[in-house]
Amino acid sequence: MARKAFLIDMSRCIACRACQVGCKQWNKLDPEATVNRGCYENPPQLTPQLYNQMQFIEQDNGDQLRWLYLNKRCMHCADAGCIKVCPSAGALYHTPEGLVGFNQDKCIECNYCVNGCPFDVPRYDARKKVTKCHACIDRIANGMLPACVKACPTQTLRFGDRDSLIAEAKAAGKKVYGENDLKGLGAVYILEDSPETYKLPAKPAIPASIFLWKDVVKPFGILGFWGAVGAALLHYVTFGPKKLENGEDHDTPEKGA
Amino acid sequence: MSKYVERFNVVERVLHWFMVVAFFLLVFTGLGLFAHTFYGYFNFFGGPHQAMLIHKWAGLMFFTSSLLLAFSHLKDLFTFDADDVLWIKKCGGYLSKGHEDIPQGKFNCGQKLFGIFSLAATFIMGITGFILWFAEGFARGAVQASLLLHSLFFVLFVLAAIVHIYLTTLGNPGTISSMLYGNVTKGWAKMHAIKWYRKVEKG
Repeated sequence: MARKAFLIDMSRCIACRACQVGCKQWNKLDPEATVNRGCYENPPQLTPQLYNQMQFIEQDNGDQLRWLYLNKRCMHCADAGCIKVCPSAGALYHTPEGLVGFNQDKCIECNYCVNGCPFDVPRYDARKKVTKCHACIDRIANGMLPACVKACPTQTLRFGDRDSLIAEAKAAGKKVYGENDLKGLGAVYILEDSPETYKLPAKPAIPASIFLWKDVVKPFGILGFWGAVGAALLHYVTFGPKKLENGEDHDTPEKGA
Repeated sequence: MSKYVERFNVVERVLHWFMVVAFFLLVFTGLGLFAHTFYGYFNFFGGPHQAMLIHKWAGLMFFTSSLLLAFSHLKDLFTFDADDVLWIKKCGGYLSKGHEDIPQGKFNCGQKLFGIFSLAATFIMGITGFILWFAEGFARGAVQASLLLHSLFFVLFVLAAIVHIYLTTLGNPGTISSMLYGNVTKGWAKMHAIKWYRKVEKG
């Protein structure tokens, strides 16, 4: 199946937060008490009850305030750190459309995905199970748009065939974030400034510690295990065990003593 | 006169076997968390949740017994001399067929290095394990570093254990009796730990 993706054009966004509300409504997520921090950004980050969040980047340029918005959510990576690090096959998985879904029944509550994600997206809910944006795979399977896309009044959020959405954006002369990173993100952005301004990594990658664990330590461990067993056996049949000579076992006086 | 000489008292033996049981519980419950490949090992423990619970408590068992054992031998472990250099130069005599004359104390150089490694690894596994147990209370950087260190020292610990088990059973006949019954034959003591034997004989 052709890969599907979100195209999120932040230049069109008016920060109405219909996406946040639409998501909460469809996914039956509870409201949460929040605190006024002197900023429209609220809640301040993704929570177990908030799968997508409007971030407000405020830049004070003397007499002018520059406002940038970012719709933060699961990026649905093709090379997904959460899937790579999750011990329980199927707790996090790729759908046929290339999106990252989760199955709480298979979640073993190890917390690895929370720390294996390059974008700090997955959260643990009150039952200690993984939650995050799953791109409304239930709606997609029935030919509908994800709830956030349906709710968006400005076409900031679009969803569809990944290749044609990217081609369309490029034809319009826009620069795309996430086309090839992590083998291509499933949430591709059009940003109005550098990724760092939006607190996004310029070159998103699986955390080095997770890469080293899965791609270096693991193969080394499997090779090392059989290597050590093999070396022990080889030593036994070549140099042999350090046997006591006949009679040495008994209480003979020490040589030279 | 007895043919035997005492090597490990009953407390040391019980601590050691306590540690062994905890070690194998940790290895087999931990494998399922180490990689997808070994996820099936959880089934031996009645599923992932029980396996992880056993892993955490076995970790506490191991940490405690390992530290107690190491601290009771701290002086022996950290005392090195010229004979230890000789032991390393001759690879412990393991790369020749006959017996090589390398006078050693209660523990030979290799055993001391294994003991020191085990002590250091116990600390690393204990600290990183604690961070992973309560991962939600720690920064992402700390948890990520812990995941790497915990997996790396898991592998190193298993490799060290394979060498340890081979050398104390098949590799050096007569050694295992010290951990089973507490004593070794005097012949064994003269061959493997002559400096220790002389000290014991003097009383």
